[in-house]
Amino acid sequence: MFRLQSSKVLAVDMTGDAVKAKNGSMVAYDGEMAFKKLSGGGEGIRGMVTRRLTGEQMTLMEVKGRGTCWFADRASEINLVGLQGDKLYVESSNLLATDGGLRTGTEFTGLRGASQGNGLFTTSVEGHGQAAIMSDGPAVVLRVSPQYPLTVDPGAYVAHQGNLRQSFQSGVTFRTLLGEGGGEAFQMRFEGDGLVYVQPSERNTIAGDV
Amino acid sequence: MAFREINGKMVEATVAPGQRLFSQRGAMLAYQGEVSFTPNMAGGQGGVMSMIGRRVADEDTPLMTVEGSGTVLFGHGGHHIQVIRLSGDTLYVEADRLLAFEGTLQQGTMFLGSQGGVMGMVRGQVSGQGLFTTTLKGHGAVAVMAHGGVIEIPITPQRPVHVDPQAYVAHHGEVRNKLSTALGWRDMVGRGSGEAFQLELSGSGAVYVQASEEKL
Repeated sequence: MFRLQSSKVLAVDMTGDAVKAKNGSMVAYDGEMAFKKLSGGGEGIRGMVTRRLTGEQMTLMEVKGRGTCWFADRASEINLVGLQGDKLYVESSNLLATDGGLRTGTEFTGLRGASQGNGLFTTSVEGHGQAAIMSDGPAVVLRVSPQYPLTVDPGAYVAHQGNLRQSFQSGVTFRTLLGEGGGEAFQMRFEGDGLVYVQPSERNTIAGDV
Repeated sequence: MAFREINGKMVEATVAPGQRLFSQRGAMLAYQGEVSFTPNMAGGQGGVMSMIGRRVADEDTPLMTVEGSGTVLFGHGGHHIQVIRLSGDTLYVEADRLLAFEGTLQQGTMFLGSQGGVMGMVRGQVSGQGLFTTTLKGHGAVAVMAHGGVIEIPITPQRPVHVDPQAYVAHHGEVRNKLSTALGWRDMVGRGSGEAFQLELSGSGAVYVQASEEKL
């Protein structure tokens, strides 16, 4: 059971089950807990190969036990996401914790990933259960429907879920080349049906500089 | 009573004649009324011997005495501030996390080795707290700084609490603490979960934990 103790602290009540959490993000616990390191990229040999190839350096740990465990990371705001069989795509640095039953994997994102300064791969979470994602400042959840596509600054994008197609859009004009750009040269466009999480802050990206 | 939280990062203190306050030097943001700020060479209360004690213990954060009548706003470095009210029990806190406290509280310095012997000293080193910590005892309020908000976790004899040493802020009550290690073969081969050292607090009281693993 995930609940928010405050906007920046996640409390998880456990009765012998397991959760996956970002390495080193535990701040306190009571009861009996055991911590074991897992690695990103998915389970098994395939996950191991994926990790080697992608360089997706997310390290997760498995927390198992009875009692309450509190998680927090660098005073980031925490958002709870419920998954009913759908897939959540999140930047690995923004994933705090997931239910033990959810599958985590690595996905190729193409050019978009590079523009966000997060590499070419992103993390996916799939299954039934809850996940906690982090944002710099409280995140807003924006709904995308077929009539209303959404365009997001790559630096402010946190995560998305649902049946969405994403494309990469560039607003580079001759002004940008002259160094007179508005700082919004690249955008991510979402079409379809789903939710996009956006934070009120921008990571440093190539797109922000031009 | 003396401290009122304006928002998460600012507190307002009321001073009246005969009621002194101590605060970290430079933490005043604004004041109204006739208030004087005196740098406190002794770094707190208790005369020259306590001052030497604090110097030796490296817990001599520069303090100032706030006197007069009026209201003072305190804040520091954009850190979140938690007001903790004490009614007769003792609060253990790092000196550099202390923003302000009422003059009715007795300030002291505690040698961590006195609680748990050698392991106490090891604990102080591992958690980056040093060998000494500051204690405040009596009736009154304390304003403590933390990075990113604080949660309070109660400790009861049946429910000991384990805390990440870097996220630990303060604790009060009749609490024993010891450093517990969960070092396994995985840590030796560099595959640790990042939770090798934990502070185990048992007894009855409460511990304050911040939402971050950064020191101030």
